[in-house]
Amino acid sequence: MGVISTDSPDSAAAATARPVMARVPLARTVVFGAVALLLFLLVVLPFGWVLNNSFHDDLTGAWTLGNYARIFQSADLLEPLFNSLLLAVATAVIAVGIGVPLAWLVSRTDLPFRRTIRVLTLTAFVTPSFIGATGWILLAAPNSGWLNALWRSLAGAEAGPLLNIYSMTGAIFICGIYTVPYSFTMVSSALDEMAVELEDAAATLGSGTLRTMLSITIPLVTPAVIASFILSFIQGLTLFGVPAFLLTPTGIPVVTTKLAEFYQLFPPEIYMAAAYCMPLLLVTAMLFWMRRRILGRKQFVTISGKSRAGRRIALGAARWPAFGAALLLPLVSVFLPYAALLLVSLTRAWGQGLSWENLSLHWYWWALFGNSETHTAIVNSLLFSTLAATMCVMLGTVVAYIVERRMVFGASLFGAVATVPIIIPGIVMSVGFFAAYTRAPLNLYGTPLLLVAAFAATFLPIAYAHGGSILKGIGPELERAARSLGAGEGRTFLSITIPLMGGGLLSGWFLVFIPIIRELSVAVFLITPKTNVMTTLIYNAKDGGNYEAVCAMSVLLLLITLALVAAAGPLTRLTTVRRTSRKSGRKTAPAEGVLPT
Amino acid sequence: MMEFSRRRLLQTGGLVGTALVTGGLAGTAFSRIASAADDPLYAAAKKEGALTLYWGSYEQQTMEAIRDAFKAKYPGIEVNLLRQASQTVYTRLRMELQSGVHECDSLGTTNMLHYTELKKIGALAPFEPVDGVHIPDAFRTLDPDKMFHVGAISLTSINFAPGKVPSPPQSWQALLEDQWQGKITTGSPAFSGDVANWVVAIRRKYGDDFLRAFGKQKPKVGQSNVDTVTDILAGERVVGSGAPFSYTLTQKAAGNPIDVVAPSDDAILNLGVTGILAKAPHPNAARLFTNFLYSTEVSMILQKNYWPTLRKDVPWAEGRALDQLKWYRNTGDDLGPEVAEGIAKWKELVR
Repeated sequence: MGVISTDSPDSAAAATARPVMARVPLARTVVFGAVALLLFLLVVLPFGWVLNNSFHDDLTGAWTLGNYARIFQSADLLEPLFNSLLLAVATAVIAVGIGVPLAWLVSRTDLPFRRTIRVLTLTAFVTPSFIGATGWILLAAPNSGWLNALWRSLAGAEAGPLLNIYSMTGAIFICGIYTVPYSFTMVSSALDEMAVELEDAAATLGSGTLRTMLSITIPLVTPAVIASFILSFIQGLTLFGVPAFLLTPTGIPVVTTKLAEFYQLFPPEIYMAAAYCMPLLLVTAMLFWMRRRILGRKQFVTISGKSRAGRRIALGAARWPAFGAALLLPLVSVFLPYAALLLVSLTRAWGQGLSWENLSLHWYWWALFGNSETHTAIVNSLLFSTLAATMCVMLGTVVAYIVERRMVFGASLFGAVATVPIIIPGIVMSVGFFAAYTRAPLNLYGTPLLLVAAFAATFLPIAYAHGGSILKGIGPELERAARSLGAGEGRTFLSITIPLMGGGLLSGWFLVFIPIIRELSVAVFLITPKTNVMTTLIYNAKDGGNYEAVCAMSVLLLLITLALVAAAGPLTRLTTVRRTSRKSGRKTAPAEGVLPT
Repeated sequence: MMEFSRRRLLQTGGLVGTALVTGGLAGTAFSRIASAADDPLYAAAKKEGALTLYWGSYEQQTMEAIRDAFKAKYPGIEVNLLRQASQTVYTRLRMELQSGVHECDSLGTTNMLHYTELKKIGALAPFEPVDGVHIPDAFRTLDPDKMFHVGAISLTSINFAPGKVPSPPQSWQALLEDQWQGKITTGSPAFSGDVANWVVAIRRKYGDDFLRAFGKQKPKVGQSNVDTVTDILAGERVVGSGAPFSYTLTQKAAGNPIDVVAPSDDAILNLGVTGILAKAPHPNAARLFTNFLYSTEVSMILQKNYWPTLRKDVPWAEGRALDQLKWYRNTGDDLGPEVAEGIAKWKELVR
């Protein structure tokens, strides 16, 4: 029964799949039905409303193509699109350019303090990019930035600023460094799970470390590299905070700041905003089409039930210089900006500068105890993020499995649907969710479930892309073996595939959990006084100009998330232990899953 | 007989209490309970048991203080406060109305256009708060049909770094002097309602020439006008235009090196407005809250947080008062298009 296969696409797979359907029609129908239903509820329905909105006039509510016509007739609306494209491409190039080598260093070499680098990269990930931007404004604003002040003290008071964060370059830099964690995590989990035979072969044939990396290792994880490139691109396209902070002062409009203007108008142009997102969808669709062209039918199977990763490449004399290079990213994305934020958060009034009298834990006290809303918000944030991330990873993995193994006819449609939400900026998706779930029969407005669903949907593309890139590296042989021994599809998936995906699933969980906990915009029209989350409070404090409080709450958010990551450490070690035992000759992996719940 | 005398006693206590409060001594627990318990509106509101506020006026801290004072004065009413930016709150309310969802009792935002639109579609309920008689005369009757009332008074002015600017610009016109080139920070009218309001006022006063000259000063344009304070405290710029009056004073009081100038050619005044929804699920609680806004308690909270008070008889912080200032407010029925035009001109001439 060659049901599961990567190399026989399209209808052939569907045809061979049919006998299985006949054998266990109910279970299979239920699983696929549930996945299809969930995708419909989480993505198709809210997105359908967004699409529907885009064809209506904001003033009259009448059906129109006018919104689209406006986009292409007005230079005012075209310019932001081009700026956004530039920002997105540059962000993706930086993210992949830094993230991939960093992932290789951490996953495949004997770099010192590998785990520390990993945690620090996650720390950058925890940081909402507008917080990072705030930190960098303190560091590199042309007149007042501390780094520029330092520069003037060296080069003379008349010297121009060394850095100007209020520029396209500044925005690209910030978007880039805060997007590296995506490419880093996706590529490093692919590398972690990779077999070493091909690398060994290259080494045997006399290839050096660098050449092996460039011509064997990295190409083998191409699916993860491309997936992370696309995700980073989308990040650059959809981030709001960074351009709002850094590009507004220079007068460079991008799509997201323009969207914010639509919402700011009176009356708000919600429908116009919906239409304005569609070009983003088109561009991203083109990227996916290119990915298909590049990956084609090539195979990237490196997990095949034989030997597994474990041995590390010795860097030799390059060990410490490489460590220095690996520290650069944490330096610019964590240490420097957080030093600035920490200093501000520890002052009673930050304009007074640093002095003993001005030093205070007041804002931490205020954030933790002085504000009645914070408690509920912290609990809500943690609860909703945990539920949403779990739901998201489960659904994303199953969809990725169905797509990768082409288990049903039209499986790739599932994948396309699972990718849509991330491309639509959160504030627009929020309107879609609002429209879809404030009416019968699914009136969920005001319930935590709606928030959890919106969060899960928004980051489903990450879970799906991440799951897919891991699955591409897992050969179907073991699954076939299980099937031929009589295990059903479900059992094979749970007891072979999931354990083989191993730590990748855990990293995938964090890859979704962390952006959810810092997400704001998709929740904007869905939160209620009872379901308030931490980011709304941070944003309100920022809105009210209370920078000390913003910094204190950001530091707290960071600490909470890091504590969670630390708590997950033992879990990660568990999966590593299992891998070693597998390496020692066990053919089948233990049956228990490693999905964190 | 017993009951009668008890009520008399309570009423007397209430009167004494009110007198004490007006006299500047914060009301005792006794007087508060006495005057509240007698109120038939409170009884009706208590029966409803809850109140949902959608508010964008006032920052989180002040709004929470007002909410807490309401809860203390009127126990038994659960208050749900949704505090988001005015335009966000309004957009959400509009969508709710379109979907037939009725959650909101009291709306409070910084844009009067919201209320003229809501009134037009019959979404507001009339109410005349008894304590409204204390509102400053100029804002007592915003709507002849009593559909909406003043909820907040907000002033836009000039702020500066006292240590670095010995003699700050005293007027909007003075901002155009050469010495301020490259020194000014401001918000964007496309993001901030207050700045948009300022642009409309300045164009009415001085026309587009002002914007053209202002653009040549190379101001740093942030999003919100709150960013002016940030830029000044950080030292990025030294003078803020279209700056928030109350918030600057709050930061000054916190010990930050910043101060504010009320321009001689008028501080620009913008009103926050509040209204009760026609289909409010808790209409009596909403009425009770609206009336509470004009209580001495709320004005004392506003004073403490450097906001202009809503009562004539409660001075602002530091002894300031509305009639000590020269101020100007944009009025007229056609503000919507004027704002849009102002933003367009700004983009052409300033950014």
